[in-house]
Amino acid sequence: MERGGAETLTLLFIFVIPVVILLLLLGWALYGSRRRAEKPPDSVVLEDLSRRHVLFLPQIRQALAPQDFSFLASRGSKKLARRVRNERRRIALAYVAGIQADFRKLLKLARLVALLSPEVVAVREFEQLRLSCEFSLRCQWIRSRLMLGPTPFSQLNGLSSMVSGLSIRLETAITELGERAALASELASYPHGRGVNLS
Amino acid sequence: MIEIAQVQNLLWAANAVVGAILTALLVLRKNYRLYLAFFSYVLLIDVQNILFFMTYRRWGFNSLIAWRIAWLTLGVLICARALAVAEVCRHLLARYRGVWALAWRLLSACAVLVLICSLIIGKHQWNLAVHSASRGLDLAIAAFIAGLFLFIKFYDVKTDSTARLLAVGFFLYSCFGVLNNTFLEHWLDRYSSLWNLLGLLAFLFSLFLWTRALRLPRTVPTREKVLLPETVYSTMGSEINLRLHLLNESLNQLWNAGAPRP
Repeated sequence: MERGGAETLTLLFIFVIPVVILLLLLGWALYGSRRRAEKPPDSVVLEDLSRRHVLFLPQIRQALAPQDFSFLASRGSKKLARRVRNERRRIALAYVAGIQADFRKLLKLARLVALLSPEVVAVREFEQLRLSCEFSLRCQWIRSRLMLGPTPFSQLNGLSSMVSGLSIRLETAITELGERAALASELASYPHGRGVNLS
Repeated sequence: MIEIAQVQNLLWAANAVVGAILTALLVLRKNYRLYLAFFSYVLLIDVQNILFFMTYRRWGFNSLIAWRIAWLTLGVLICARALAVAEVCRHLLARYRGVWALAWRLLSACAVLVLICSLIIGKHQWNLAVHSASRGLDLAIAAFIAGLFLFIKFYDVKTDSTARLLAVGFFLYSCFGVLNNTFLEHWLDRYSSLWNLLGLLAFLFSLFLWTRALRLPRTVPTREKVLLPETVYSTMGSEINLRLHLLNESLNQLWNAGAPRP
């Protein structure tokens, strides 16, 4: 009888827990969907691409260099050294947030390209998903290191240098999309679309 | 027991009335043209309700013929529901050809896997065979719809509110069906009187959601989105992934290297 009870409980969990997980997943997927539907389309994507936070890496690296703190501490101004370190750490945190925003924008554009493509490659999409998850985790790690301990400015270098370089090719894709959309609307204004297949 | 039977009859009547209202709305608002499989499903429910009414009135609730009609119509309705769900899911994402091709293949494979696993795992009793199959299909439908909404969120797709509400109605009813049939399988004697009542209640809730979704006329969707040339994705995709990979490799140093001391 005990074995029957344990088996019943196991089978219950096998079906109840997946349902609970599915409910949570759907709730998370729908969260913010109405706000996304009401939000006007982003019309400044191309301009945003030119204002990349990665350009300020040398300044951030310079600000987090240990020489300044060592100099202040050696002059007896430990309080000042601590204050300067905290302020520069705050700036570095803002910089990491900016890098993350750059990454998200590029990823958004990459997803837009995939969405508007007649064919996508599953392996490529999964790889993108995996890389974006890894990047998010590592950004969180850097952020926690900045907040809790010494500044890992040498690792910020890697973050910044690779986020750049995507924008030029993505700008080309978006420009091409705009040209095709303009052509489609022009052809649609003619009675029979000039016999051109728009799909 | 008598009270449960009376509540059950009331719920069954309420289901029939709301189902008839939904059918009328689909016809009057001309939304049946947009959701043909869904309209067929709702119509079959109305036919089932009429059949049940005539059968119970003539032969009673506990007759063999009533039992046979109930299970036969259940099998037909399950198939119709699967087609209606597929149609609603197409409305949500099919405008984006590439992503839809990936999504439906992947999600269909997952749904089939879920169905097979649930059939294998469940209790193999002959008298519960239809319940097990229904539960497996419910879980597969719920997994498919949840997966589809994850795709929609991932690609930030703006969806039609009607299709979204219809899909949520199917999802909630399917989830409840899994739970209801699971409890029935394990507590058959004590739960059988509640099983039908709770099932009717859950279906009534979904009917209300669908009626709300289709209360206004819906327009036929515009032409398929203008898509990029294939070459753009193939060149862009590999370039982007390479850059993202290199970025992550550089971040990997953070896990291994220590930070310099001030």
